[in-house]
Amino acid sequence: MNTKRRERIIDEVEAASWISDGMTIAIGQPTPMAVVRQIIRRKLKNLTVVDSGFSLDLLIAAGCVRKVVSYYAGGGFGTPVTPSFRRAAERGEIEVWECEEGILTTGLQAAAQALPFLPWRGGVGTSLPEVNRDLKVFTDPISGETLIAVPPINVDVAILHAAVADAFGNVQHFGGPGWIDLFMARAADRTIVQVEKIVANEEIRADPWKTTVPGADAIVRAPFGAHPFYSRGYYVQDNEHLRQYNDAAGSAAAGDGKALTAFIERYCRAPATHADYLELIGVKRLLSLHEY
Amino acid sequence: MADDFSTQELMAVYLARELNDGEILRVGVATPVAEAAVRLAHLMHGPNMELVFLGVRMNVAHLETIPMPAFGWDRRVVRWAESYSDTGHRFDRVKGWDNHVFFIGGIQVDPHGNTNLIGIGADYRRLKFRGPGSVGTPTLSTHIGRYYIVLNNHSPRVLVEKCDYISAYGWGAGGADARTRMGIRGGGPKYCLTPLAVMDFAEDTKRMRLKSVHPGVSVDTVKRETGFALEIPASVPATPAPHPDELEVLRTRVDLAGRLRR
Repeated sequence: MNTKRRERIIDEVEAASWISDGMTIAIGQPTPMAVVRQIIRRKLKNLTVVDSGFSLDLLIAAGCVRKVVSYYAGGGFGTPVTPSFRRAAERGEIEVWECEEGILTTGLQAAAQALPFLPWRGGVGTSLPEVNRDLKVFTDPISGETLIAVPPINVDVAILHAAVADAFGNVQHFGGPGWIDLFMARAADRTIVQVEKIVANEEIRADPWKTTVPGADAIVRAPFGAHPFYSRGYYVQDNEHLRQYNDAAGSAAAGDGKALTAFIERYCRAPATHADYLELIGVKRLLSLHEY
Repeated sequence: MADDFSTQELMAVYLARELNDGEILRVGVATPVAEAAVRLAHLMHGPNMELVFLGVRMNVAHLETIPMPAFGWDRRVVRWAESYSDTGHRFDRVKGWDNHVFFIGGIQVDPHGNTNLIGIGADYRRLKFRGPGSVGTPTLSTHIGRYYIVLNNHSPRVLVEKCDYISAYGWGAGGADARTRMGIRGGGPKYCLTPLAVMDFAEDTKRMRLKSVHPGVSVDTVKRETGFALEIPASVPATPAPHPDELEVLRTRVDLAGRLRR
């Protein structure tokens, strides 16, 4: 008799080993940084990355990215565009699959529903289909309207960060999942979710309507695993750390890469595990990031 | 106090007066004037408005203060959520958006209110300036009841004869049927607000027209700082100044950190 249900908890090092060069990965919000740092540590290359903002910028800075699928590469701190993304795009070092939120979620949904395309209105009349030739402007066969056909965005691995999960991969968020996380999970062959806490299966069963990702392929226990980003219900973002990154990346974009190289070495390559990283950041800094 | 207000406060109050009770106001990030305007309107005359911000749909007219977010993407706002949606739910229903309002910026805006968040440069693969990307502006500008273009800068580099790329279709190549003939449903851009002036769109051509100049700004300055020929009516009034009570609510219940006064 085989009666033991398989548990899905792995560590962040093993999680990153699920990703190979050239894969398409989707990264949720807040960023699952424990696994992202391991991706950088593994020196993965030529990835197609579905992501936005500073974590996308970091992956580009670390040399992992060939192609970007993003609706927004904006930063905070007075930078309308994140520096590494901007520089790499302007130099043609990365390919940009130009899109917007509606087109992106439509493409992820087409992948999830095994469709060759899904139609969308947003983008008709814009330059998007001109600069992104995968988007096809067409006339619909039913009422003759002008629409955009969005092809499926198939994802090899989606990586998310959430509040809790049980050992069987049932994930629950505090205050709702991140921006387009569920679209990413549905479009992915496999989904890895970092969580602040592992909970008993009974806690999931107490409110199954709250389960946002049922049966994720792998769960990584990573308290403060989104640092330097926020984790709703747990901690706010570490603005000082992000500003440090932003300054280093800005200098690199302007020609002086020393600070950025040092930042990536110190925070991404040197710490062998997430626990090593947290020791580096320090308890006092982490505890200062309280929400209230 | 009524004589002492910043340009951004003037713009926020002007926008707040544009918003009507019962409307659904969608606010993005990095738009402090719009962020302040929706909160001010909600407190002063919009008890039935709903604010949609970062997936959170909320009515917070009962709060003593509705501070602007300390930094973008501050997810603590979820504590006021009456419902929450990831982007999918947000775009799962786009019919019935007639009473929804949105605010848009751009690195370039052309005479027909088309905006560009993609970038500047003739070669898309080697842009001179790579912009942040379209965010949700193509979908929102296509379906929303109306939207306002809000710019932090009024200069010939921003208000250009032709955008290098268009990320949100405003009034296309012009004409009153510019949207309907493309099957684009929403009401389009109503005004363009800048630190110098308010512009609207002429009814028949949908070409940008000067509606008012802010106190202390001359029509000549606006003409000089616009990279295309604006339609200028025979008489251009001054943009109305904020009332003392609007400034008081703005400063004590919305913009507590004084972001609009920096």
